[in-house]
Amino acid sequence: MKSTFSKYVDMKRENISYGWSKAKRMKICYLFLLPYALLFCTFFILPILTSIYYSFTYYNILEPAKFIGFQNYVNLFLQDEVFLTAVKNTLVIAVITGPIGYILSFLFAWFINELPKWLRTLAVVVFYAPSIAGNAFYIFSIIFRGDAYGYLNSILLQFGLIDAPILWLTDPNYMLKVIIIVILWMSMGTGFLSFVAGLQGVDRSMYEAGYVDGIRNRWQELYYITLPSMKPMLLFGAVMSITSAFNVCDVPRALAGYPSTDYAARTIVTHLFDYGFSRFEMGYASAIATTLFLLMILCNKAIQSMLRRIGT
Amino acid sequence: MSENKQNANVPQPKLRGDMLHEQLVRLGEIEEPKPPVNRKRIAIIWLIVLVIVGGLLVAAQWRIGLIDGYVLQEIDPATQMPDGGFGPYYRLARILLIAFAGIFSIVSVIRLIAPKRRRPNRSIGGDIGIYLGMAVIALAMVFPLVFSIASSLKPLDELFRFPPKIFPQHVTFDNFADLFVTLSQSFVPFSRYLVNTVFITFVGTFGHLVIASMAAFVLAKYDFPGGKTFFSIVVTALMFSGYVTGIPNYVIMSKLHMIDTYWAIILPAFAAPIGLFLMKQFMEGLPTALIEAAHLDGAGEFRIFWSIVMPNVKPAWLTLIIFSVQNLWNTNASTVIYSEAKKTLVYALQQIQAGGIARTGQAAAVTVIVMLVPIMIFILSQSQILETMASSGLKD
Repeated sequence: MKSTFSKYVDMKRENISYGWSKAKRMKICYLFLLPYALLFCTFFILPILTSIYYSFTYYNILEPAKFIGFQNYVNLFLQDEVFLTAVKNTLVIAVITGPIGYILSFLFAWFINELPKWLRTLAVVVFYAPSIAGNAFYIFSIIFRGDAYGYLNSILLQFGLIDAPILWLTDPNYMLKVIIIVILWMSMGTGFLSFVAGLQGVDRSMYEAGYVDGIRNRWQELYYITLPSMKPMLLFGAVMSITSAFNVCDVPRALAGYPSTDYAARTIVTHLFDYGFSRFEMGYASAIATTLFLLMILCNKAIQSMLRRIGT
Repeated sequence: MSENKQNANVPQPKLRGDMLHEQLVRLGEIEEPKPPVNRKRIAIIWLIVLVIVGGLLVAAQWRIGLIDGYVLQEIDPATQMPDGGFGPYYRLARILLIAFAGIFSIVSVIRLIAPKRRRPNRSIGGDIGIYLGMAVIALAMVFPLVFSIASSLKPLDELFRFPPKIFPQHVTFDNFADLFVTLSQSFVPFSRYLVNTVFITFVGTFGHLVIASMAAFVLAKYDFPGGKTFFSIVVTALMFSGYVTGIPNYVIMSKLHMIDTYWAIILPAFAAPIGLFLMKQFMEGLPTALIEAAHLDGAGEFRIFWSIVMPNVKPAWLTLIIFSVQNLWNTNASTVIYSEAKKTLVYALQQIQAGGIARTGQAAAVTVIVMLVPIMIFILSQSQILETMASSGLKD
């Protein structure tokens, strides 16, 4: 027992000294990393750590933060019913829009990749347009307007499918569905562009080799050749779609109102926004942010282990 | 005779694969692939069919409308449509003709634009289905873009019309003219805002590109202690909600005396995690042999990074430029910049937009102008991406 332990310690020590000598040999690597690491720690790590600290305090921005331990988290999970609604809504939105948006953006990038040059540029611009146009989703408030003048209602009325206009954005039965549709419409974002760029780098000769090896249709080619060579971009896209699927905030606020009827369109981030910037309870808002952070890390771990199996 | 011609259209497999393939066919392991089709000839045939079908359709319309027009035309009581001798099948025939013409024209267009050197493993039916579906979705995607451009060309009375019409009835450039009048009256000259934003966008994007790519290069291509941990911290940091970090960020910037300077926008943009993540993922695909060869030739690290690695990941950094420009161009930065002379273009334009109902037309023009630059950068870099990959044949 003791010998194994001392062996372990020896091994560790050896590892550390090996690591140290390696680090000394690779000095140039640290030099390359240094500017980024410095800025990153100052403007990203430090604020995040501070926010996590704030989540254990009562902090209303005006007075200095008071440490209150886990009180914020206790309130969040045991007393705040709206938060639980928000978690439920966020999960529904994320589970539907995350995977569908991810798969759609890959498929479209893949289809576009085979078009001739000028058409490909045009197609990428068209599909990426919702992300460039910024707040273009406001147009959906006209489409889904609750009275007979809304585009959708007027079409449905004309075809006699409904008798009276539907309150798409104020009826809790429809709100979440409308929001999911709008978010899917906006899902060709960062991930989509990186897929388009990544597909350009897939080795052409691999396709020909695959053809000779008996791959007979586009789907086999996708699974055995394209996806495995796209793994790094797929990982990138996955992280991007997780962040956007969980950080839904602007769309429900703009379309369903803030606060929405019966909190039916409240997401974790709108809840955070409410506490942080309407009630100025920064400590509580930080606790919400930290909870969301943990949720997303879990989700990311699960997806990464899934992506590792592709094409094997 | 035709065999040579057909073979010109298939990608020539590598020699070894070719021999293996023949052997496998002989042994009955795999089927001989069908001879490929001559696309140009088929496209011409489609076009001829289209012309014939279209001609028939027109002829039918002409016969119904003109020849039978006033003399023989009878109104079919059931449909209230002229029954031009086709009997009750008139409507059905017409719908079918239109459908055929539509499909023929789409197919022939696809045929004509399809790449000359066709990839293997693509069925024609699949192509048609996919591109038709994509065309429909593309209409939905481009709608808001079209709507906002159309809105900026509408006169005021049409802007206030409800329900809004999508296209302007009377196209006018008054909104843009009004906007320039308003801008020329602001007490900080408009060009100042423009210079501020261009400076921030340019410096921020360039610095981000260099700094993030340098870090990504060593993280992707060298195994050194702490590298993996650092990278996973960067990826994790992407997931923290930006709303709550605003306050600590402000405090840090004020400690560094950066409030009310351009650096408050530029320096955080340098270190955006998304750029590092993107570059690292792309650089991973680069063959390590390439870097080793450069080492043997005596190139220094920076030289390798700048003249070997970077040119080979051009699609990646062009994508990064798109993200960064889009992000910085749209910064309003009202929380960290207070002096009017240092404010950004988007901020100034938003002030005009906030001017109330009288500025509705100008607001529509502002939306279009703000969108224009990112779209232009986007189109430029997209065409660049396509060009690079056509010329670089480097892979291992």
